[in-house]
Amino acid sequence: MVPPQYYLLLSAAVFCIGIFGLLTRRNALLFLMSVELMLNAANINLVAFSYYWGNVTGQTFTLFTLALAAAEVAVGIGIILVLYRNFDGVDVTNATTMRW
Amino acid sequence: MAGILDFAPAIVLLPFLSFLIALGAGRYMPKGGALAGIGATAGSFVLSIATFFAVSGGQTYNQTIYTWAEGLDAINLTFGLLIDPLSSMMLVIVTLVALLVHIFSLGYMNDEGETGLPRYYAGLGLFTASMLGFVVADNLLMAFMFFELVGLCSYLLIGFHFRQDGPPSAAKKAFLVTRFGDYFFLIGVVAVFATFGSAAFAGPDAFPVLAEEALNGEHSVNTFLGMGEQAWFTVVGLLVLGGVVGKSAQFPLHTWLPDAMEGPTPVSALIHAATMVAAGVYLVARMYGFYVLTPTTLAIIALIGGFTALFAATMGVVKKEIKQVLAYSTISQYGYMMLGLGAGGYVAATFHLMTHAFFKALLFLGAGSVIIAMHHNENMWDMGGLKDKMPVTYYAFLSGSLALAGIVPFAGFWSKDEVLYETLIHGLGGSPILLAAYAMGLLAVFFTGFYTFRMVFLTFHGEPRSGTARDPHGVRWNVKGPLAVLGVLAATTGLVNMVPVEKLFGIKGIDFLHQFLDGSFSSLNAHHYAELIPYSSGYIGGEAGTVAIGAAVSLGFALGGAALAHVLYNVPEPVEHTDKLGSIKTVLYNNYYQDEYQVWIATGVVQPISRVLDKFDQGIVDGVVNGISSVSLFAGGRVKRIQTGVVSNYVALLTLGLTALLLGLGLLGGWFA
Repeated sequence: MVPPQYYLLLSAAVFCIGIFGLLTRRNALLFLMSVELMLNAANINLVAFSYYWGNVTGQTFTLFTLALAAAEVAVGIGIILVLYRNFDGVDVTNATTMRW
Repeated sequence: MAGILDFAPAIVLLPFLSFLIALGAGRYMPKGGALAGIGATAGSFVLSIATFFAVSGGQTYNQTIYTWAEGLDAINLTFGLLIDPLSSMMLVIVTLVALLVHIFSLGYMNDEGETGLPRYYAGLGLFTASMLGFVVADNLLMAFMFFELVGLCSYLLIGFHFRQDGPPSAAKKAFLVTRFGDYFFLIGVVAVFATFGSAAFAGPDAFPVLAEEALNGEHSVNTFLGMGEQAWFTVVGLLVLGGVVGKSAQFPLHTWLPDAMEGPTPVSALIHAATMVAAGVYLVARMYGFYVLTPTTLAIIALIGGFTALFAATMGVVKKEIKQVLAYSTISQYGYMMLGLGAGGYVAATFHLMTHAFFKALLFLGAGSVIIAMHHNENMWDMGGLKDKMPVTYYAFLSGSLALAGIVPFAGFWSKDEVLYETLIHGLGGSPILLAAYAMGLLAVFFTGFYTFRMVFLTFHGEPRSGTARDPHGVRWNVKGPLAVLGVLAATTGLVNMVPVEKLFGIKGIDFLHQFLDGSFSSLNAHHYAELIPYSSGYIGGEAGTVAIGAAVSLGFALGGAALAHVLYNVPEPVEHTDKLGSIKTVLYNNYYQDEYQVWIATGVVQPISRVLDKFDQGIVDGVVNGISSVSLFAGGRVKRIQTGVVSNYVALLTLGLTALLLGLGLLGGWFA
């Protein structure tokens, strides 16, 4: 059995990749992908602990999180389309009309 | 006990109902809502008469109707009715005068084609209802509330012709000047509550009774400002007196009343005879059991009264307009009532309140009749010779004038004489202040006789001095009827209390008013007050001798004034003899510059102070508040810059925040130790 520390390390790595993507990229689609990475990092944790404790609650929860992620992508893509239409591109730093 | 007194609340509610009807449906009704008002006041009048007889039979009524604020350990604020001889007498006066004024208004307002009649009749209804509510009030707070309503109605009615220049400003003046007095009254009400924990006029916890017991040392009450009980009661009495001085138009708050003549004449009649001005004097009579405990207050009341009587009478001498003469006569007559109350003549003052209500209503309605006839010209120098053209008005007016001047046997003689008599005997009993007030009152009798008959002769006698006076406009039954009723009353009401006759000829039992006001709650009757009066009596040549001398002197003065007026003005072509007074006339005609002096107080004293206070308010109080708010405004202006609208920045901030949080928790939690 693989010890849970490895799963935790994997999860932290994926989460940090997600954050790195958010901080460095300007493309909205890449933003969306990065967010998905962070979500799935959490999922890895849930599944790993579920397996470790022999309790399926965490795995069930992950299924819900996946469904949520799918819905989020649907909304996110919609927003990106509108962004493209209004700001001639999907660069998130151009859309700065909602400031002070 | 289901007696007639259980219907007493209806006396107040009926005119209020007519107010609602006239206001809501008056414009769809014939006569603009007048009929509702006449019906309601007639109903109230009938009920008042029934109440009056029930009270004569010894019944009284003191009931709380509605508790509108209930205190747990403290004071309940209530509405209630107190029917005793004083209030039942006043109910009859107010409802009778209101009824006659309503009928008269048919002639003065409807027949003259005035517009806005529903508003007018609604005002009359509310005015009557609030005065009746004030009369039957069983506690000081309720009295205060209705007192204020009366003031509001006077404002609405004096300013009835609001499209002209004069009436709105007169209405505002009346409201503000009386309001100034009422401010003291309000503090007085609060002081009464704070001192006694009750403001009831009658019953076991009536404040006059509590005050009396406190002075006898039977139990203690709260006093403030470190004063003794006697001194504190004087202060409370004077505070309430502020409201009285304002409403009853006593010096120095009398200036609103002559201006109030801008209102329609029937309204003037109502204000002067029964509702507004009478409220002040009635209030003193109502809580006389309290005033009688404080000699200082009584002396001040007497002095204000005597001075006002003389002061106003001198101004009445030079006026040109018939209603102005009557206005000053009202101020002067209310001065007599205050004098009577201050001199310990409770019955005398109440008696004068009653007779004055009748003859002053009569005089105003008579003046209204003359004004209709003269096509709304009020200048007496354009009148003359109206005697033959309008005999009903003339004889009724003459009856009222004889009563006002105090000529035997008309009503005013008996009541004014009794006021002066009470002042004289109590003054002779060792009170120089009362003697001074008596002298002023007596001198005022002469002026009263003079200006009254100057008015009568100028208006009705001699040759007509203008085209309208030669061919006056006729008046109908609805004007003559009320005049006739009041004319008879002005001639005869004095007979209910012929004290001089009783004292001189030893006929017992004809002082009906004394007997009437004696039967009541033991703490509210005239007998009780007489025991408490802080004056002793003194006589010149025995009681009968004093009565005879007093009556003869005051009658002599009145006749002297009337005779002087007869000599000067009862000629075919009278001239303005008052011009010979020269600069004195100018002073009198300008009312001793009282208005100017009050305006000077407002603009010369109060305004600079207000300006300084305004500077303080704008600069320091507002400055501090604005300073605090500008700090947060500035800080907000800087902090909002972090809201850049760039998503990447937000993410960076979030990440930094999370890192900082983790580091902090880690350091505190000892992860790195």
